Order: sequence, then structure tokens, then C-alpha cells
Amino acid sequence: MAAFHKLVLSLGFLSMFHAAYSAAQHRSYLRLNELDFTGLPSDIFLQALLSLLIIMYGVLNVAGNFKEIKASADLDSKSWETFRNIPSFYTFSHRGKSFAA
Amino acid sequence: MGAQKSDVEQLRYWRENNDRKSREVLDIWLNGLWLKVNSLGNEKFLVLEQVCLAALDCHIPNVAETCIESLSQSFPSSLRVRKLHAMYFEAKEDFGTATDILNSIIKADETNSAARKRKVAVLKAQGRTVDAIKELTDYLKIFMADVEAWQELAELYISEQDFSKAAFCVEELILHNPHNHLLHQRYADIKYTIGGLENLETARSYYSQALKINPKNMRALYGLYLTSSALSTSAKCSSQRKKEAAKLVEWSLKEIKKRYSEANLMVTALAALEI
Repeated sequence: MAAFHKLVLSLGFLSMFHAAYSAAQHRSYLRLNELDFTGLPSDIFLQALLSLLIIMYGVLNVAGNFKEIKASADLDSKSWETFRNIPSFYTFSHRGKSFAA
Repeated sequence: MGAQKSDVEQLRYWRENNDRKSREVLDIWLNGLWLKVNSLGNEKFLVLEQVCLAALDCHIPNVAETCIESLSQSFPSSLRVRKLHAMYFEAKEDFGTATDILNSIIKADETNSAARKRKVAVLKAQGRTVDAIKELTDYLKIFMADVEAWQELAELYISEQDFSKAAFCVEELILHNPHNHLLHQRYADIKYTIGGLENLETARSYYSQALKINPKNMRALYGLYLTSSALSTSAKCSSQRKKEAAKLVEWSLKEIKKRYSEANLMVTALAALEI
């Protein structure tokens, strides 16, 4: 599924670049024919808009899951027993020794 | 391959959550991960360190030895590996050698906080809590923003029953992390243990704050019930306040009962499945 979303994302970017290139082409065509610029042709405009939407969809799915906006959401399911446990202060003189034998 | 991937993810979850699941970590390691450790890439060394700690915790020295050996082959002059060496001697209860190694690390790198913390742990392992407290306060004079050290100091003070100092340490922790319901709950626990009218009232408000941050905190709910029932029967309390406390008792009792009835529903549902 992740590969599919990456494909969607790259297709969106390709299409966006294509729209940009078409727009540049259109401007140079106008300049060569000494016409006034009134606006982009609707097909280029539509393509740019569509590829933006596709890119948005792809990015949202590639970036991974959202985090809760509440500051303490990560802590809600934690208990004091996990929180108080600090690896830098582990001591080894406990019942583990008797169990190992 | 699929099973291996989930094993690695499980290890990572435990590592990041600070779970002390030494036996389980060791089981994953011995059930075949040790054969595939070279395919893990950069995570290999983190896994090796984790397994080494777990092996020391379970007192299985040969696994720890192999981990330390392969780590020191990759990082011959690393202080972090040397710290593992010291911990290996700690687990063998050769505290003199461990302290020597730790001192040599501190000499090589004065800012190495991990080695200084281990020195505290060495004292703690020997049961010399008072010395450990002294060492840790010296450490905190240099590294004042170290949350873990404040927390450990609070625990050490509690084991010496010096509750007011422990409360100060937890206050410091709350300043660092005001959104953590566990710290509010811990502070209230300590205040409740000290006792007395004022402390009980402080405990009650901190339990309430913990509940406000995380409504699922059962211990805070019980704490609220205990503190307010103590307040409602206290002779020194004014009648106005007694009434308020009685209301809180009623409310917290109702909440606790509600939680239990919800939990019981789950239990009976599971029991029905088993028949």
C-alpha cells in the first residue's frame, strides 16, 4: 500500500511539473506571436489544480500517522511503573540472580 | 523474515518506552535474533546494547560478554562500551573494578553524565543509599536539567523516608514537565504520606489535577477518595470544608464504582466466551 501511495505522489509531482512546463510554453508562444497575456488556458489550470490535489493525497498517506494534538496524549496509557523505570540507574543486585541459577 | 521484523519492532518499542522487559528481550534474542543481528544495519548496535543490559539483568554473563565483545570490536575506544564493561562488573558484584572503570571514563570525558549516573547506581546497589544521595546531589549541581536524576533522587529520598525533600524533587520534575499526570499523582502520593491537614489538602488538589489531565488515572481517583474522606472526618477541618470534602467523597466513590462496573462487563463477557 505504501508503494502505491508513493507512486501516486510521484505521478502528482510529474503532472505538476508538466503543467508548469506547459504554462511556460504558453507564455513563450504568446511572446512569439506578440499577443497579450489574458490568462492561462483552462486545461493547464485544471491540470495544475488536479495534480495539487493528487500530491496532497499522496503526501498525507506517505507521511505516516498523525499524532494527537493534546500535549499529554502519549502519557495517558503509561503507568507509573514504566515511567519510573530509568535505564541509567539500573542495579543488578536483585532476584534475577537466583532465577538464573 | 516477517517474524524477525516484528521482533525488531518490539525491541524498539521496549527500548523507547523504557520498559524493563529483560527476560522477554533475552528470549527474542536467543530465539534466533542473534543469528540475524548483522542484517539489522545501524540498529544493530542499539539492539546489542539493549540485549547486553537485559542479559546483565537476568544474570546470564556469557550473552552479555558476546554483546560487549562485538560492540568493542566495532567501537574500540568508545566510552559507551566501556560503561557497559563497568556494568558487567557491577552485575558480578565486583564494585571496586566497576568504580575504577567509571572513574577512568570520567577522567577521559568530564562531561560524561552516564558514567556519573552509574556511580550513583553502584552505591545504590551496595545499599549505601546515603552516599548515593550525596553523589547524586553533587551530580545535580553540575547537570541541573537532568530530569532522570531528579526522579531518581526523589526515589532515593523516599527510600530514606525523607519525604519533604522527595517532594521538592518532584516539584522540580513538575516544572520540567507540567503535562505529566504521573508526576502530579506522585507528588500527591508523597504529600498524602506526610499527612497533616495542609498536606492532605495539597494532595487532594494534585490528585484532582492528575485526574484532570488524564481522566483514566485510577490511582489518582483512589487518592482523591482517600484524601477527601480523610478531610471529611478530620477534627481540625471547618464544617464548610467538611461538606465540600464529603461531596468529593461521594463523587469519587461513584466514579470508582462506575469504572468497576465497566471493567466487570468486560470480565463477564470474557468468561462467557470461555464456556
